Amino acid sequence: MQVIDKVKAIPKVQKFRYIMIFLASASLLGPLAFLPQLVGSDDLCGTLCMRRFYLYFPGMTWDDFFVHVNAAAVGVMAFGIILLTTLIFGRMWCGYLCPVGGLAELSSRMLNDRWKIEFRSLPQVQIRYGYFGFFLVAMPALGISACSLCNFITIPRLIEAMSGEYRGMVFLVSSVGLVNLGLLLLLGVFASKGRAYCQFMCPIGAADGLVNRIGANLPFAHRIRIAKERCTGCNVCARNCMCGAIKMVDKIAVVDQVSCMSCHECVDVCDWNALAWTTPPRHKINEPKRIKKNTEILPVPDWQAVHFHGGGAVTQEGGATKGPAVSWMSVFNAMILLTVVSIVIVGSFL
Amino acid sequence: MLRFYVLAFFVLLSLNGVASPRYSDPDGCLSCHAYQGLDYIDAEGVLRSATIDRSHYASSLHGSVPCKDCHRNTVDYPHKVENTEVDCSESCHIEEPSEGVKYSHDVIHDEMDKSVHAGGWYKGLTGGNRLEEIATEQDPSCRRCHSNTLYIAETQLANFKEAFDHAETECGNCHQGKAWMGQFGGHILRRLIGRRWNNQENNQMCIDCHGDVDKMRDVEQEDPDTLAKHPPSDRFIHSAASYAKTLHGRLIADGSEYGASCIDCHAPAGWKHEIRSYLDPLSASHIEQLPETCGQSNCHTYSKKAINSGFTETDMHDLSLLGLTAFTNPFVDDDLQQSPWFWSSWPLLLIGVVFMIGSLIWWLFFRTTKKILPVVGGDRFERVMIGRKPKAARKKAAVKKTLKPPVATEVKTQLAENGTDEKGA
Repeated sequence: MQVIDKVKAIPKVQKFRYIMIFLASASLLGPLAFLPQLVGSDDLCGTLCMRRFYLYFPGMTWDDFFVHVNAAAVGVMAFGIILLTTLIFGRMWCGYLCPVGGLAELSSRMLNDRWKIEFRSLPQVQIRYGYFGFFLVAMPALGISACSLCNFITIPRLIEAMSGEYRGMVFLVSSVGLVNLGLLLLLGVFASKGRAYCQFMCPIGAADGLVNRIGANLPFAHRIRIAKERCTGCNVCARNCMCGAIKMVDKIAVVDQVSCMSCHECVDVCDWNALAWTTPPRHKINEPKRIKKNTEILPVPDWQAVHFHGGGAVTQEGGATKGPAVSWMSVFNAMILLTVVSIVIVGSFL
Repeated sequence: MLRFYVLAFFVLLSLNGVASPRYSDPDGCLSCHAYQGLDYIDAEGVLRSATIDRSHYASSLHGSVPCKDCHRNTVDYPHKVENTEVDCSESCHIEEPSEGVKYSHDVIHDEMDKSVHAGGWYKGLTGGNRLEEIATEQDPSCRRCHSNTLYIAETQLANFKEAFDHAETECGNCHQGKAWMGQFGGHILRRLIGRRWNNQENNQMCIDCHGDVDKMRDVEQEDPDTLAKHPPSDRFIHSAASYAKTLHGRLIADGSEYGASCIDCHAPAGWKHEIRSYLDPLSASHIEQLPETCGQSNCHTYSKKAINSGFTETDMHDLSLLGLTAFTNPFVDDDLQQSPWFWSSWPLLLIGVVFMIGSLIWWLFFRTTKKILPVVGGDRFERVMIGRKPKAARKKAAVKKTLKPPVATEVKTQLAENGTDEKGA
């Protein structure tokens, strides 16, 4: 079967990512809405809202801000955790968990490419932060409620409508709902790779992108990075990047860390191991250039060198008991990951 | 005569055995009403209980008020039902110890007079048969909202008892004498420890009536200027449902202490009874009063700034969130419309049709296409992100390639095979 072959051909990480998005959608959206129901809400509004508390109203004091924060306490905590993971691991929430962008992406990938609109070449940073500023300051003062253009309402309501909930249907035929549905279809389902809304309009994505860029050069920060001397300029990564974060500059791929979601697809499609999701290199790279995957350049020797320490005669067994070298940076990162995960688990039960 | 003896017997019985100083019953009403099973069937055909649990009544807000202070028309026994109506605006027997003025609900009476709820049954502040009132009257009486329920939650009853035991020593240092303690001790403690309604319960009180769409359709509204009566607007009929869609409504529904309740915006000042029409310039929900209303206490204080005028104009009863006005009945069959699956099938059908047509066109015309570029924006992507030449230039290059004479390529390959050319040699 052709379909089965196609599914088999999906890279491992991407399969994992699709499953993660699916699971996140199942637990965050209706009809299960497992996580929202823990805090007594059946969609992503109310105390769960992550998107309204940082709006700026002229003349606002810190007290007002803290009132906003307290009103949506759970959402603020979730937002903080998202930014923290972004700082260390890249935009994991956006790429691997977000049910709102993720569902649009998955449904877009099921459509054929010919009928999609290509948004990825538009100037992302300018549009996104222009709209972000408008969203933060101008919209509240003009009286446009932040909720009226919220895709975090549209997607849960869409799911509700599909499951037969009257409330969702009613929202989708309202004017606000129709505008949102239009945005979702144009910038989501019928956009190439389905992430145009995330690129241009999502305020959480905008804040997340800033943190992603700010933390990119920290020594412990994992990001998608390019080894320029290995890049052949074949532009497969740029074509496959769902955020339009990779651009060919002088026939060498360059990653825009503001937009990159660390979805790992570029690493999977690169034949030359030129991309990787790693910490910034701390040494000059001294490796042979352009080794194609699964290609043996040098014959692997069938003998093993035995190293003797100077002084005493150390046997081969003594050397073997030492075990493999430990990458302490990986241990550190794993500890951070486990801490964050445990905070999420404990926090969701509080 | 027999009746008198029976009554007297019961009065004696209650005085001897059960009555305690806390549960004073000077009018002797409980001599009958304390009986279990004192039931009757009213004109509506509803079985009603006239039994009064004396501990229940005593722990209510009016627990220390003797019955006849409010039920003033009840003179002869057995009394008629009509004679038991209560006038809440009468002054009570309770005197403020500091001022010596008799307590009265007159302040609230005045406020109610100005509100949209002034009228109909409430006139004279009586509370009558609640079922009849719900069925026939449009304006609520006192009792519709103030049901005289327990003010101390069961969970706090232990606290209350403990505090009540200490009241003798703590309050009694200054307020000596049992009379004061009997009249005010419990009342003040109830205010301290007892619980006020929270926002959810406040809203539920309003929604009990305003959430009933059919009932709200029958309401006659009054224009504040011309006093002309007119049928209610859609905004009014669906006000409870549209409020539930706002962040205010959602926060309160989630059990959050944030989020503004109905009363917070419609009657923020005074005794919370002065709810006026939003067209009335004195109303808290009038457009000119909104900056003040939204900016009260620690809510949106910035709304008082002129630059945020747009903020206060945010619609808190946005009908477009409901889309109900767009709902007409296209089919006669009621059962079909009541099924949620019927409604949910429409968007699914739409999406399905789009997918089907798209796939069909794709299969018919583009089966053999190898390189797929999106119709809109595809060329720009090739240019900006990949760095290729524009489409026109690419086509030109392709044409040139095909027109190249085969001889030139042969020479090149020969040169490559030889590895040298004449110049190198």
